[in-house]
Amino acid sequence: MDIPDLEELEWLESHTLDEQFDDDFELEIEPPSPPSSPEPNNPPTRPTLSLPPKPSPINPHPQINSIAKKRARSNLPDSTLFDADNNSDPDKHGKRIRTEEDESQNKKWAPPEISLNEKVGSVENSGRRDDDDDEWLRCSPPRDVEVEMEVVEREREERILSRYATEIEGDCVPVTGLDGERVYAKICSAVMDAEERRNKLSVRGEFNGLLREPARVLMQKFEQEEFTKALQASVEGPTEVVPPKAPVTHQQLWVDKYAPSSFTELLSDEQTNREVLLWLKQWDSCVFGSDIKSTTEDVLSALRRHSSGSQHPKQSTKSYSGTNRGTRSNYFGSNRETRFSRDNLRAHNELDKGSNISHVTPEIWDKRQKGFGHPEQKILLLCGPPGLGKTTLAHVAARHCGYRVVEINASDDRSSSVIEAKILDVVQMNSVISDSKPKCLVIDEIDGALGDGKGAVEIILKLISAEKKSDAGKENVAQDAHSGRKSSHKKQRNSLLLRPVICICNDLYAPALRPLRQVAKVHIFVQPTVSRVVNRLKYICNKEGVKTSSIALTALAEYTECDIRSCLNTLQFLNKKKEILNVLEISSQVVGRKDVSKSAFDVWKEIFQKRKGKRDRNSNNSGSSMSKDFEYLYSVISNRGDYDLIFDGIHENILQLHYVDPMMQKTVQCLDNLVVSDITHRYIMRTQQMSLLAYQPPLAIVMHSLIAQLEKKDIEWPKSFHRHRTVLAERMDMFHAWHNRISPYISRHLSTKSFVEDSISPMLHILSPPTLRPVALHLLSNSEKSYLGQLVNIMVSYAITYKNIKFDRSGISRHEDALDASTLSLDPPISEFIHLKGYNSCHFDLALAVKQVLVHEVEKQKILLGSISKSTHLHVKENHGLEKNTGNGVSSKSSYINKSSAETKMKERSPIIEQSGLSVSSSSSVAESGGGAIQVKSVQKTKKPSGGVTSFFDRFRKVSHEGSRNTNNVVQRGGTVQRDSHPLLFKFNEGFTNAVKRPVRVREFLL
Amino acid sequence: MEQDCPHLLFYGPSGSGKKTLIMALLRQMFGASADKVKVENKNWKVDAGTRTIDIELTTLSSTHHVELNPSDAGFQDRYVVQEIIKEMAKNRPIDTKGKKGFKVLVLNEVDKLSREAQHSLRRTMEKYSASCRLILCCNSSSKVTEAVRSRCLNMRINAPTEGEIVNVLEFIGKKEGLQLPSGFSGRIAQQSNRSLRRAILSFETCRVQQYPFTSNQAISPMDWEEYVSEIASSIFKEQSPKRLFEVRGKLYELLINCIPPEIILKRLLYELLKKLDSELKHEISHWAAYYEHRLRLGQKAIFHLEAFVAKFMSIYKGFLIETFG
Repeated sequence: MDIPDLEELEWLESHTLDEQFDDDFELEIEPPSPPSSPEPNNPPTRPTLSLPPKPSPINPHPQINSIAKKRARSNLPDSTLFDADNNSDPDKHGKRIRTEEDESQNKKWAPPEISLNEKVGSVENSGRRDDDDDEWLRCSPPRDVEVEMEVVEREREERILSRYATEIEGDCVPVTGLDGERVYAKICSAVMDAEERRNKLSVRGEFNGLLREPARVLMQKFEQEEFTKALQASVEGPTEVVPPKAPVTHQQLWVDKYAPSSFTELLSDEQTNREVLLWLKQWDSCVFGSDIKSTTEDVLSALRRHSSGSQHPKQSTKSYSGTNRGTRSNYFGSNRETRFSRDNLRAHNELDKGSNISHVTPEIWDKRQKGFGHPEQKILLLCGPPGLGKTTLAHVAARHCGYRVVEINASDDRSSSVIEAKILDVVQMNSVISDSKPKCLVIDEIDGALGDGKGAVEIILKLISAEKKSDAGKENVAQDAHSGRKSSHKKQRNSLLLRPVICICNDLYAPALRPLRQVAKVHIFVQPTVSRVVNRLKYICNKEGVKTSSIALTALAEYTECDIRSCLNTLQFLNKKKEILNVLEISSQVVGRKDVSKSAFDVWKEIFQKRKGKRDRNSNNSGSSMSKDFEYLYSVISNRGDYDLIFDGIHENILQLHYVDPMMQKTVQCLDNLVVSDITHRYIMRTQQMSLLAYQPPLAIVMHSLIAQLEKKDIEWPKSFHRHRTVLAERMDMFHAWHNRISPYISRHLSTKSFVEDSISPMLHILSPPTLRPVALHLLSNSEKSYLGQLVNIMVSYAITYKNIKFDRSGISRHEDALDASTLSLDPPISEFIHLKGYNSCHFDLALAVKQVLVHEVEKQKILLGSISKSTHLHVKENHGLEKNTGNGVSSKSSYINKSSAETKMKERSPIIEQSGLSVSSSSSVAESGGGAIQVKSVQKTKKPSGGVTSFFDRFRKVSHEGSRNTNNVVQRGGTVQRDSHPLLFKFNEGFTNAVKRPVRVREFLL
Repeated sequence: MEQDCPHLLFYGPSGSGKKTLIMALLRQMFGASADKVKVENKNWKVDAGTRTIDIELTTLSSTHHVELNPSDAGFQDRYVVQEIIKEMAKNRPIDTKGKKGFKVLVLNEVDKLSREAQHSLRRTMEKYSASCRLILCCNSSSKVTEAVRSRCLNMRINAPTEGEIVNVLEFIGKKEGLQLPSGFSGRIAQQSNRSLRRAILSFETCRVQQYPFTSNQAISPMDWEEYVSEIASSIFKEQSPKRLFEVRGKLYELLINCIPPEIILKRLLYELLKKLDSELKHEISHWAAYYEHRLRLGQKAIFHLEAFVAKFMSIYKGFLIETFG
């Protein structure tokens, strides 16, 4: 390893100083962590820099080391006395030896060493004025013995820690780590090999000697210490400000007064707290830059270990050593670690050099190892019933991790533009003032206002999706940024979610949150244990000087379902009223019971399930339990409201329950109740007498008393009724649409109400006559042809046709080849009306060929009718004109003329139509029937319109026979000339054909 | 034509010829032009105090009359009735002699009109009686308020008797040139529930299915009625909540297919009574009436239908246990 040049060393020095600063900075934030999770307090691991680095390869314990160092001075058994000796001794040594040392190396070592000593000093100080700094005490509960052991170990340099006592030769002492891990430490005798000791001392002296060197560093340290203390004081503020002798007539709400200010005081579930903290910690590298990152790694690993450790000890060790690789304690890199495993004292100096030089590399290495700073899910969604401390947890955790909390809640402006500006402010901006904390956004009650709350959700989702898109690109950028100077990271990322966002909601399944649920890390709050709440309440009561019994508090906590907020409010209220909490009176006292509306499923469960024991234990006789049950159910149901849904749910599930009912009496009663509820509901809705709603819940309660069972049943959401309603509406729509297409002189007789009732079945029979043979048209007998004609007429006048349906329906394709994938079915699917589930109708189904013929004929008939009605319309108009101009007598005459003209036109037209029909069909080679058949048919057809056309036209025709002879030829001519200008009828068939195609001119048809 | 035509209320069971009668009346009044009808989809913008309501409704109109189904507009039916009557009053037709004539408004299914609409109707009937006549048509006059009924000439149209139906069928047969075996038309009439429409339809069905007729030719039944009878037999087979659940599914199926719940209940009762012991018939009929009443009061038909089935099951099971141990 080559010795670095001076410049670099100087930079390193300043750099380490910086780190030191950060370290302290964090220290001041961290102190209030619970004793059970001291890992967050481990920033002082940094000082291990100054120690001869010697983490045992088996099981390095940096945290313990560091704490040991701090604590060593306060209570010293003999072994530490030795340590103290040692400490002073090497001082001299150091002075002596220092001159011999490489100058640069000294420089490198100086700052950390000093910082260490300074810290030690401060600890001693704090020992004296213990109320200032009792945070230290708090973070490490008394475990002096281990500490001593540690110290001893440290001095000896040959400490061996192992998970198994057998692996240690000689005496050993069990040591329990702060995280609950148990290891065995070897005890070595105080008397050591002289040579070895000298060696060690010389090594030690080397860095102790620098103690007094840079005075300015000392000054800085001192300043920082002061700063830290001040900050600590400010953090602790709330707790300390509250004096135990607080007067009863205090203005502040207890809820605010005793809001937990530190992590330890949180009442919420330990696991959740940890997870939240872990998540926040994962942001560190992103938010605070690289320096603190390794600390967080440390913390993270510890947290992870803790949350997963208890069940999987093996795994935990694995992860421990794994994560430790990147941690601060092994700051000097993994390569160094392996070297140290040799435990070679001779190599110490070199190693130190090496470690210092490799200072830069592990940083990069760390970065690479760990993704890019922020956790996988960038949003944390906390949900749970009110009063469990969600908001408090978010605030405390964020503060704990060094963020400034920015809260947006329901009372703020929630319009999306405002909220967007706010979120972007918080999430993306870096504060200009260097020492101000980064912000953490807490969006409270995000489910609250659905319409507006959505705005917030959308913005967050937008940010996240932007993140994802740029992720790939960002990776490279970030890497570059990290390998460079740390000052450059912040410039590189701009429009992304750079700050933690915590969302809080009560109802996780609110529709507005659906998209958020998928991207966020969700934590569901569970009720804290009653004892925890009671303990806290007790503490507060003591402080406030309220006399309570824990039984009463327990009852209160149970009553409020562990809602600490309501507990506190209740207590304060009672206190103000100078009343004492009374166990028996809780329900009768003015204590607010929460109006918790349970989900519909819970309500149904309550109805269908008997409640066991718990609630009945107070009541001896069944009568009072009944009334209690009633009360309870009543409140549950009425709090939910939405009786319509509740009764639907009951109806849906009631028949699936297993209740004993041999005579069906219970069922009858239940259904009767449902009937009553339905009638009541309709009446209420119609008359808007909402006060009658109060009579709905008892109906459900009656049913509960009839059918409630102990066993648990799967409850289904009531779908069938709504399905029925939507399908019914669909069918009605379809029917109405069809109804409108039928010409009015028929449709006026069809009522939508009774159509299915008495018309549909015979109509379907009529539409599919079994007598019609599936043969080519020209093979039909005359009577059959007339049948066909009638059928076509019916179909046209009822606007029914056949249509290709792609999917194969077994009912329809029964008679035809399986090869034919597409089938023809009635176009307004009126046959649906008789498709009843589990019922086989005996309707005859026409063969596909017949259907095809029908489709074709119907099509043609429609075209014919269309053109006829067009021409008649024309004449009807003429008629009107004439009628208006002339008197009565004339008009009747002229109408005769017109009628006759219409008649003659009809006659004239038939050949034309015939011809055109012929040509069209012959041109379309796809048509299945021969040209001759068509011709016959079209003749038939032109006669048919007489039946099919509108009735007033018919009447014209009847009369026309009388006066038709004296018709005016001019009028006739005019009509025919007009029509001759469009002599062709053709139809464009969509689709394609495999037939050979060739271009044909229209005039070829006309010849 | 005289100006003394009163408001009319036609009522009677379906298939008895109310609409045919109304059409014949209109033709009598206005001549053939009353038959020239066109379908219109009309939109009304009604100013109802604070808001405007958009109502869309299909009407059938000729130059002399407008026919519509106000109950299609749901609970906003009263606006429809008022609006259209006002509109009619505005442009009264002038007949050939220069006298102001009147238009006729045919309202179908008045029994489905909401109470409010009927109330608003009675004032408009008087106010605009000069310009417009109302012809109301419904199945049951009991649902039409007393006030409206007293302003109309009530005409009850009876369902045709079986003899009449037979006559009509024979007439049709003669016209179509069909050979009717003796008793065949009688059987069709029997199955038709005295509904002429149904009788003619099933007659045509028979014609389509098999011609020449044989005297014992099967007359194809209504599909839904078959289905109901299946339900009835399944009820007879087993009485338990489980079976009731199956029945519920089938009832839903019927309701989905636009069959009115009252009709279902009626038919179900009919099917049940067929196979029931005579001593229970009275009781069951009583309960059917009870539940039908409630059905009309309520909203969710399935509750009521199911309650009836459950009640029947309970009674029938009790009866079975009593008689057979």
